[in-house]
Amino acid sequence: MSRLRRWADDVLWGPETAARLVIVHVGLSALIGLRIVRYPYWELADTPAALFDPVAVLGWLDRMPPAEVIVAVQVVGVLAALAAALRRRPRLAFAIAWVCYLVLAGLRGSRGKVLHNDLLLLWASAPFLLAPAVTDLRDLVARRRYGWPVRSATVIVALIYLIAGLHKLWRSGPDWVIGENMRYIMLWGPSIGEPQWPELTTWVGENLWAAQLSAAFILGVELSFPVVLFVRRLKGLYALAAVFLHTMTWLVLGLDYWAWSVTVLLLLVDWPAVVERARSTWLVRGRRAPTAAPP
Amino acid sequence: MTTHPVEQVGASPADDPPLSARVLVGVLLVLLVGAGIGVEAWPLTGWRLFSAERDDTQTQYVLEAVGADGSTRRVHLDELPGRPYSNAEWAMAELPDAPDTRREAVCQALLEPVIEVEPGLAELRIARDDARLVESDGAWTVVDDLETVHVCRPADGGGPEQAP
Repeated sequence: MSRLRRWADDVLWGPETAARLVIVHVGLSALIGLRIVRYPYWELADTPAALFDPVAVLGWLDRMPPAEVIVAVQVVGVLAALAAALRRRPRLAFAIAWVCYLVLAGLRGSRGKVLHNDLLLLWASAPFLLAPAVTDLRDLVARRRYGWPVRSATVIVALIYLIAGLHKLWRSGPDWVIGENMRYIMLWGPSIGEPQWPELTTWVGENLWAAQLSAAFILGVELSFPVVLFVRRLKGLYALAAVFLHTMTWLVLGLDYWAWSVTVLLLLVDWPAVVERARSTWLVRGRRAPTAAPP
Repeated sequence: MTTHPVEQVGASPADDPPLSARVLVGVLLVLLVGAGIGVEAWPLTGWRLFSAERDDTQTQYVLEAVGADGSTRRVHLDELPGRPYSNAEWAMAELPDAPDTRREAVCQALLEPVIEVEPGLAELRIARDDARLVESDGAWTVVDDLETVHVCRPADGGGPEQAP
């Protein structure tokens, strides 16, 4: 097998522990449940037919469904997400929750504007539709059959950030960073919603160096994101960078991308290893600590 | 020193991901990269997040409520009740090239919620605004340049009216 092929095989299908798979699966289920329950989707039912522009996957609809139908989809989706998080028929429950979330997010996006708020979670969750229903968490051996959903979802996330960065370069070139682009993004503000920290939005807009630094950070993170597929120890750093990026986007533009942050944290951080490391450190410190005062 | 008691096993046929997993991931990657080239068919998307360079001009579509006394007020979509109207600017942006029936349908769809916030409304204007940001003494202000796209009135106000 060539080196490149071995690398691709490991990146997409490499081994992970059962605990890691279960934690990511449970986390994504809970996140989907939260996204379903937190948005008042039923309010969309009042959308006039003239303002309804269904997304492709809902193209068969000619108007928003009634509030009762939307609430029913929400209830089924939340119960299924809860069941998946509690590991009750996890594969079936996760699939139902994912489909309900797809429909609801699609309805939210059926008002003319392409919305990306829910798309990273939907795409990153898709491999978990066929994830094995692990029952033996005591299995500490990292296996390929446990690893592929986490690994392939990580590839999907890395590609999404890369494509977003490449589009900025294709459409705007280096001026996206070195021009006044970010200044005007800040000064114009969001087309929908309000900044959470308007003083910061204005400050970045009025200080070109801060706007250019912000733009360089965003484009740098997006274009270099696939590095996590080559250098595993950088995953934590990129997870933090993504959280910072999306938190700042929320503060200065009021845009709701917290689902992106949590998805990246779930996938890029090996939580069982973090817990194990913290436990070991705590135990070592406990052993070194003096048990009695010297005479 | 490793603190994580994880063993790794070499690849064995029994441990391999099933064929269905390989097919699913293969399809997802093809769709993701294919759509990334520029297809917009949600949930397939080009991921063009803020990719267009912004400058000091911006074309936006706005609502102007005209009172019985002829006074006008800009009505922001955020003011309208509920969630259905927050993205209505995208529907309004298509109106310059749309037939009269479509213009009137969109205008009438917005008329009802606008009346809720502007009860004395005599007519509603949908306008294209070629706005410009201007700096003066360190402060940035927006200079509007409005062009009416369509005008509609409450049901008893007669039929659709074209912009001059």
